[in-house]
Amino acid sequence: MMKGGFEVVHATLDMIQPRREPIWDFTTTTVSSIPRQQQCINSDRNELSEWVEHVTKQLIDDLPAENTETDHRGSLQLQEADTSMACEENFAPSVLGDFRPSKTVTGEEVQWNRLNEQGLSLITLLLECAVAISIDNLGEAHRMLLELTQMASPYAVSCAERVVAYFAKAMSSRVINSWLGICSPLINFKTVHSAFQGFNNVSPFIKFAHFTSNQAILEAFHRRDRVHIIDLDIMQGLQWPALFHILATRIEGPPHVTMTGFGNSMELLVETGKQLSNFAKRLGMSFEFHPVGTKFGEIDVRTVQLRRGETLAVHWLQHSLYDATGPDWKTMRLIEQLAPRVVTLVEQDLSHGGSFLDRFVGSLHYYSTMFDSLGAYLPADDPNRHRIEHCLLYREINNILAIGGPARSGEEKFKQWRSELAARNCFLQVPMSSNSMAQAQLILNMFPPAHGYRLVQGDGTLRLGWKDTSLFTASAWTSHSSR
Amino acid sequence: MKLSSAKVSKESKGASPSHGGHHKNSLHLKHRSHHSILPLPPVDALEQWSSVTVDMYNSNNNNHNQQQQPQTSHTSTSRSSDYSAGGDGEPSGTGNKWASRLLKECARAISDKDSSKIHHLLWMLNELASPYGDCDQKLASYFLQALFCKATESGQRCFKTLTSVAEKSHSFDSARKLILKFQEVSPWTTFGHVAANGAILEALDGEPKLHIIDISNTLCTQWPTLLEALATRNDDTPHLKLTVVVTANIVRSVMKEISQRMEKFARLMGVPFEFNVISGLNHIGELTKEALGVLEDEAVAVNCIGALRRVDVGERAALIQMFRSLGPKVVTVVEEEADFSSTRHDFVKCFEECLRFYTLYFEMLDECFTATSNEKLMLERECSRSIVRVLACDNDQDKEGECERRERGSQWSERLKEVFSPVRFSDDVADDVKALLKRYKAGWALAQAHQNETGLYLTWKEEAVVWVSAWKP
Repeated sequence: MMKGGFEVVHATLDMIQPRREPIWDFTTTTVSSIPRQQQCINSDRNELSEWVEHVTKQLIDDLPAENTETDHRGSLQLQEADTSMACEENFAPSVLGDFRPSKTVTGEEVQWNRLNEQGLSLITLLLECAVAISIDNLGEAHRMLLELTQMASPYAVSCAERVVAYFAKAMSSRVINSWLGICSPLINFKTVHSAFQGFNNVSPFIKFAHFTSNQAILEAFHRRDRVHIIDLDIMQGLQWPALFHILATRIEGPPHVTMTGFGNSMELLVETGKQLSNFAKRLGMSFEFHPVGTKFGEIDVRTVQLRRGETLAVHWLQHSLYDATGPDWKTMRLIEQLAPRVVTLVEQDLSHGGSFLDRFVGSLHYYSTMFDSLGAYLPADDPNRHRIEHCLLYREINNILAIGGPARSGEEKFKQWRSELAARNCFLQVPMSSNSMAQAQLILNMFPPAHGYRLVQGDGTLRLGWKDTSLFTASAWTSHSSR
Repeated sequence: MKLSSAKVSKESKGASPSHGGHHKNSLHLKHRSHHSILPLPPVDALEQWSSVTVDMYNSNNNNHNQQQQPQTSHTSTSRSSDYSAGGDGEPSGTGNKWASRLLKECARAISDKDSSKIHHLLWMLNELASPYGDCDQKLASYFLQALFCKATESGQRCFKTLTSVAEKSHSFDSARKLILKFQEVSPWTTFGHVAANGAILEALDGEPKLHIIDISNTLCTQWPTLLEALATRNDDTPHLKLTVVVTANIVRSVMKEISQRMEKFARLMGVPFEFNVISGLNHIGELTKEALGVLEDEAVAVNCIGALRRVDVGERAALIQMFRSLGPKVVTVVEEEADFSSTRHDFVKCFEECLRFYTLYFEMLDECFTATSNEKLMLERECSRSIVRVLACDNDQDKEGECERRERGSQWSERLKEVFSPVRFSDDVADDVKALLKRYKAGWALAQAHQNETGLYLTWKEEAVVWVSAWKP
């Protein structure tokens, strides 16, 4: 499970930050002045998402404002190293997204325009369909979906078309389960985990989540001998080997590590535990693993075997694949009760709450961006890209549109976890340190086309996105009553 | 909410036909109140059964290490051993066909009018299906669509919408690309072409004026090789009149382009050529002798590729009689081996036959094309329209569009024997076909018909899939 790459990254950053007061790393910069030669391909702007926003402006205006990431559009940090990445990569015909004009013959440019038009008309129909669903006109929605599902291909060169194909399918699924009156997901976790790993290989978001959180946890564990990490959705535990490595090679020696991992299948959890134990053993680090096969929000606090003198870190990498933790209010209450020294949270910049149309617009913007980021790097017929889009991203889209939502699950989800944490007196934000920032930067350098990804530091958080759109935000919190 | 934790509802136990007014057989596509959107309480027996199916689904996707049978290699031709297919790159064992089981159960539930079971199964199918996943997921998706249309009595509308969208987005380029790509990776269509051409050439040998009546939607991809053969014969090149009868709207719009190309090709080959298109018919059954313009001195060949199945079951005999009245030298028929005709009044039997055939077809597509092929997707969507047509549209009620009641070779033979005698394919033709099959991946073979049957079969993994036959008066 441990890849060479992880070790290299950590070797260069093996210093441990002494405990210090939270500093405000907020940086205001002007809108980035990207060298002009890239403007010819509009590389700075996520065209698909921009257009989506433009067309849905009417809808957005009618809805309660909730997109906080719009604030950060203006404060892009210029990543000079990134822009020096070969422009040629962006022109490689095999990885062109549909909104980047071809460098070659006019014939192809014309074709680009036609693709563009088709993409736009598909999205228009998709939006109409979403509106139909939002007003419960299922018959009309079904008819439009029949069209859409015949017209859009998930293997298209155009990212717009791929996005439409999956959104249309998710909405079809919704129409059917609305009609049936049943809304309960069936998930193949192994396929999902496998796709998650694939995604981790081609996109920096997961590593960003892992490394920035690990750094914050490391800092919180400074000079602590007995530590306990709770991972609210451990999956295959890809994150932890890197942290173990650093903990094992600390100047003050390795701590005793207990880990409580939550997940959906005991079988998979036990397997994960075995792998992590083996790894810890090889590092000569004392380690205990407790698997819990229930959702975190549904347990009793005593299920977590917390011992006296243990420093606690709670970690949560949020995603939309399935409901990992159960009701939000219960999860929050439990975290409060546990009073951890650090809570590391990585959220998608996507709201899971609100009406169908809210979620539709938000997720269309979000996933268009995500698809764009894959499309800038991987060819249209790459089976690996297809697997990630189908088994991971489509799963999320389906979960958001066809399964999720308060009317269906009967519960309100928090719009944004860090706002909720901030609103509670018992938690205090710990700004992400410059070391975390440096980790994030290193990761970005591993992933071409790095010039497409944007790393922003602000409000004590670290945000990673594609072009103008923030996709994931990492933050850290401490409980006032923590040990 | 887990299945196992849901409460069992008393009313829904067993397959009792007495329902409350809540569930109706033919549910219309109207909104159900939000308050009822909850996990469905499962029927006792169903609960265990469906979790077994879910396990099957999960292990189906996970069992790389636990498969008993060896991985298929190119030399494996039998379907009873593993095949490796899968949109998400994971092998699936043929033992665990979760989609097939769920779909058949659902069809039976529909036939039994067991509302809650229907709902439960449709729910599962909806969650597990995807038209972009592996074979099982695709079959689940397209058959679910048909079942949903049937349950909501919207089959006709769905079919119309699906067809008109497909027609709008087709162009000459896309249609041609599709057919040519399919022919490149699979002999499904070329098999029939080669055998039929062989029979036609032999039957029309020595004739100076040929009239081939082509009832098909093949975009004339059959004819270039025939023209070439005519051109390279030692004796005088005959005059060829080709009359193409098309009914699919998709094909109609591109016939102009095709006629230009055919004429050009014929000129190139030095074959005196005349090209006619009959495209005004709604049904092939409307075709008349007069419309075909057959002349006294012409040697006629009638070539039906996937055409007879588009004729209303009740009109098939009449059409065959009409062919006879043209006095043809040979009639060639190519059809796919499936029977949706004799089963058409028995929903479950028809469904199962449909599932059997399309499973074969989808598996074949999965093996012949790449995972991310748009052409494969187009072909799958074509199937999805046919599936809706066969399963969700009422028989014989719709006079618009064509029916798609396939019959097996043996059934067609029965019909054709009333009026024609079978012509044996010569060894030369058989050799040509075998040579053709060698050009493709392993798995394809030529099979001769049994004792009382006629024609040749194309088999894929030892299952007969396409039938070709030749007839004379």
